[in-house]
Amino acid sequence: MRALMPLVTLLCLVTALPLLAPLLSGDGWWVPALVLMAAASAVSALYRLSGWNAAPVPLLQALLVFLLLTPLFAAHTAPLGVIPNGESVGYLVQLFTQGTATINDSSVPVSANAGITLIIALTFVVFVMVADFLAVTARCAGMVGGLLLTLMAVPLVVDPAGLELWQALWCAAGYVALLAADTWTRRRAWGTPVPSPAPGDRVLAGVRRAGTAALAGAAAVLMAVTLPLAVPSLRTDAFYDLADGSHPGFGEDMVTTTHPLVSMRRELGSDSDSTVLTYRTDAEEPDYLRTYVLDRFDGENWTMDPVDATDDNTAGGDLPLPTGWSSEASGPTTTTQVSMSSSTPRPDFLPLPYWARSVDVSGQWHVDPDTHTVFTTGNPPTGLSFTVESNADDPTAEELADAGRPRSLASGHLDVPEDVDPQVQELTDRVTEDAGSPYEAAVALQDHFDDFTYSLQPPAVPEGNDPLAHFLFEDRIGYCEQFAGAMALMARQADIPARVAVGYTQGERTNGDRWVVSSADAHAWPELYFEGAGWVRFEPTPSGGSGQGSASVPEHADPSGEGGQDEGSPSPSPSPSPSESPSPTDGPGAEETQGPDEESAAPDPEEDPGSEAAGGGSGSEGGPALSWLPYVGGFLVALALLALPALARSWVRAARRSALAGAPASAAHAAWREVRDTHVDLGLAWDLSESPRATAGRTQLPEEARWALWRLALAEEAARYAPDPVAGGQLREDLRTVRSALCASVGRGARMRAVLLPRSLAPWHRPRPEPLPAT
Amino acid sequence: MSLGTQHDGQGGGVRAEVGGVVAAAGRIRSAIETVIEGKPDVLRITLTVLLAEGHLLIEDVPGVGKTMLAKALGRAVDCSVQRVQFTPDLLPSDITGVSVYHQDRHEFEFNPGPVFANIVLGDEINRASPKTQSALLECMEERQVSVDGQTRALERPFMVVATQNPGEMEGTYALPEAQRDRFMARVSVGYPAPQDELDMIDSHSADSPLDALAPVADAAQLRELADRVRQVHVAPGMRRYVVDLVNATRTAPELHLGASPRATLHLVRAARAHAALDGRHYVVPDDVQALAVPVLAHRLLPGAEARMERLSPEQIVSRIVARLPVPGPQ
Repeated sequence: MRALMPLVTLLCLVTALPLLAPLLSGDGWWVPALVLMAAASAVSALYRLSGWNAAPVPLLQALLVFLLLTPLFAAHTAPLGVIPNGESVGYLVQLFTQGTATINDSSVPVSANAGITLIIALTFVVFVMVADFLAVTARCAGMVGGLLLTLMAVPLVVDPAGLELWQALWCAAGYVALLAADTWTRRRAWGTPVPSPAPGDRVLAGVRRAGTAALAGAAAVLMAVTLPLAVPSLRTDAFYDLADGSHPGFGEDMVTTTHPLVSMRRELGSDSDSTVLTYRTDAEEPDYLRTYVLDRFDGENWTMDPVDATDDNTAGGDLPLPTGWSSEASGPTTTTQVSMSSSTPRPDFLPLPYWARSVDVSGQWHVDPDTHTVFTTGNPPTGLSFTVESNADDPTAEELADAGRPRSLASGHLDVPEDVDPQVQELTDRVTEDAGSPYEAAVALQDHFDDFTYSLQPPAVPEGNDPLAHFLFEDRIGYCEQFAGAMALMARQADIPARVAVGYTQGERTNGDRWVVSSADAHAWPELYFEGAGWVRFEPTPSGGSGQGSASVPEHADPSGEGGQDEGSPSPSPSPSPSESPSPTDGPGAEETQGPDEESAAPDPEEDPGSEAAGGGSGSEGGPALSWLPYVGGFLVALALLALPALARSWVRAARRSALAGAPASAAHAAWREVRDTHVDLGLAWDLSESPRATAGRTQLPEEARWALWRLALAEEAARYAPDPVAGGQLREDLRTVRSALCASVGRGARMRAVLLPRSLAPWHRPRPEPLPAT
Repeated sequence: MSLGTQHDGQGGGVRAEVGGVVAAAGRIRSAIETVIEGKPDVLRITLTVLLAEGHLLIEDVPGVGKTMLAKALGRAVDCSVQRVQFTPDLLPSDITGVSVYHQDRHEFEFNPGPVFANIVLGDEINRASPKTQSALLECMEERQVSVDGQTRALERPFMVVATQNPGEMEGTYALPEAQRDRFMARVSVGYPAPQDELDMIDSHSADSPLDALAPVADAAQLRELADRVRQVHVAPGMRRYVVDLVNATRTAPELHLGASPRATLHLVRAARAHAALDGRHYVVPDDVQALAVPVLAHRLLPGAEARMERLSPEQIVSRIVARLPVPGPQ
């Protein structure tokens, strides 16, 4: 029976293993974790059969886990495959580092290599050990719930798909099993609990229990609803609001995709610049890779029209002509071989150069004739490779300038919601008043964004402001999403059909015809429609060091030929990342990135004589003057953390002291609880099977304190067992006397510990009934 | 440290009555102490059983004063006391009484046996045949005697004080567990301490101090005391504690037979008396803890393992008591 709890604890954590399944690709990653967890639990179970003190259990578990790691992960480095030596330990450390690197570099699903498997196994075995301590040694099975929540948080944080219901339910079932086993063992040790005497009381107790459960549930629901309102970063729903209408396909083949702008934002914002795909192309200046097209503006966000997955539009062989092309193009083509990185999430839309004539890809893919995007409702493998042949003809500026009013286009690409700020229309009119043709208007609009500032962390839009108007008129800071959206909208206002495309820039050339596209190359741009030329890309977003690194203005959109931002050359010189110091030519962007540093340097030596004394370098640098601040802050935080238990304990004491003035029974209880906790804090024995008077009789204290303790004990006794407890006259004084006498009875070390780390706050130090003899 | 209550001044009736119990019990105790010296614990249990209207089993080796204790108790209380010396040839009618045909009146006349008394001393009860033992034990439980189809109630207070030698002594019929269950408590007198034995030589050499013992209470007083004891408050938590304790003996693996529900009732009644003897009008865990071994141990049968480990039921009960948490605040 003693072995039951460790085994149920193991079971409970095993139910958490499937939580990781969607995050990993590959098989067998769970086997080492399961082996180690089972081993740790077996150690605990076997040891507890002996009935000895449980303190060495974690040590034994750690030892066994260490011994098992070698055969599981580093068998080839060790003698006989099992004996750990320096080499095997070194290999394990290397594996661990490799696993951490994989986690940092790749996005879900991560391929389960040995490093990842090792990290998962170690994490879970540590969790099992902690859970074993909590549930079996400390008998606080409820606290294991915290561990499970931690594990549940992993998919919630990492995986955009979040947590599936069955996983959560499965995990919860394991937790309930643990709680049930805990209750069962307790009951078994103590026999069946005596039911309440009267049936009425039993009903009352049931109602009370149900009420407690309902209250807890209501509190949880309330928190789940209100907390995200207060903490915006928890508002995952807001993301999915954006994704309205982004459900490609109908009927059974419905696929939900994250809103393209959201995934783009996530890619741009990720710290690690991971490779999304690589490609080989025979084009000298490859085009952008276009994944999604957002053709609907609802006043706030650009969203996708639903795309249709039918048998009629499968993307086998040649693709249909894009809108605006009336006959088969006979011009030169470009062949591009794309390999998606295995760490990239499964693509449901293919990143393709515009416009693709044919795509050679395995699996069932469909093409949307309107947007000319290629997508699937199936589940393509990660690390997909495909070959695409695309039109190499780029319309020239002259052709575009000659294009007339659009005729051959379905309606809808000129829709502007009515609630758009009228200032925007005025701005559009002002910018395009000199334009003689749609093309000139488009170029004028594009140029209008020249003096805007690029930043991936634009300042927050104040509550109630229209983000578009704020971007255009107030701060004029944003990144590709704002630039593309604003230009597309303004183009529509200037009667040019427009939409937003989302995808990647051409990336960076590595060598020869090889190109690498990383997550920092995620991009959005406006596409404008010109009769005879179809949809044409424009580029309002600043490029280069202070903008979107590899963005480029296409030649057709740059009639001056000067190259707005990057000399028009798409071949990216090793582009500095935005965080590096900008080149002198980048005017507006420089302010943005440099801003904070200048601010921190502001308190210069003349203003602040104290900083001169701080160090010689402070005068010129400015920064180090306050470099001690984090240390002091850290120190203060550490102090506050250290003082936390003491504060909590004194808060409990104060609450009890105020209870001393209350009803006689509760006053006596409060005083006696304080006596108990003082005992526990000081490491003095406290036996639950002792009555108050037995405790008072046993405790060795000076005469006066002994009498005080007796008075407290008798008051508590009367409060517990007498029909009419009477008020104790001097509980407060007696409590003080007893406390100081108890403190004086132990050494200085124990007193210090009682103040700093009061054991009475720790559930596992709280006195609790021992199981009956020899069960 | 005094165990007396510190709560005076309030509470009225019950409290005052409990005060009377303390005084009366104190008189009886000091009277008996003139005969039995140095055994305060045994005396306390004896008085507890007396006030709780139970029956007492005194078990010990010969010559330690079992009978003396029983006799002293009978003397100290001015009520009818009968003594039965149990022998193998004793018949049930020797205890309950017999109907005799009256020649003159041509009718049967009932001659009441020694059981018709307030205090019955059953000396060496395990020397009698099981048949005779059960005749007495029936009276103990029912507090009535049925002879020739007629039922005669016994007068309150009715207390059987039985003595017995430990089972392994020669020529004894050990009381079956079902019959031991009828006794509220079992005590062992034990050998006196050397100093007490020295004093005993002095006091008992000249003349028996039993002769000099004058009654300090009577039957009516005892009835009243017992009624007051019934008023003692047992908090719900305390009731639960008693049930938990008894239950624990049933689930303890060392025990072959646990305590009966009757044991639960006996324990509560005895705890009330114990509290009243302390001058308290409510029961505390200490009462139950002090009584757990005398009240429960003689009803329990240790299992084979416990016998091999030479664990006595007393030790097992003590262990359970030492681990059972006392009822906390409600």
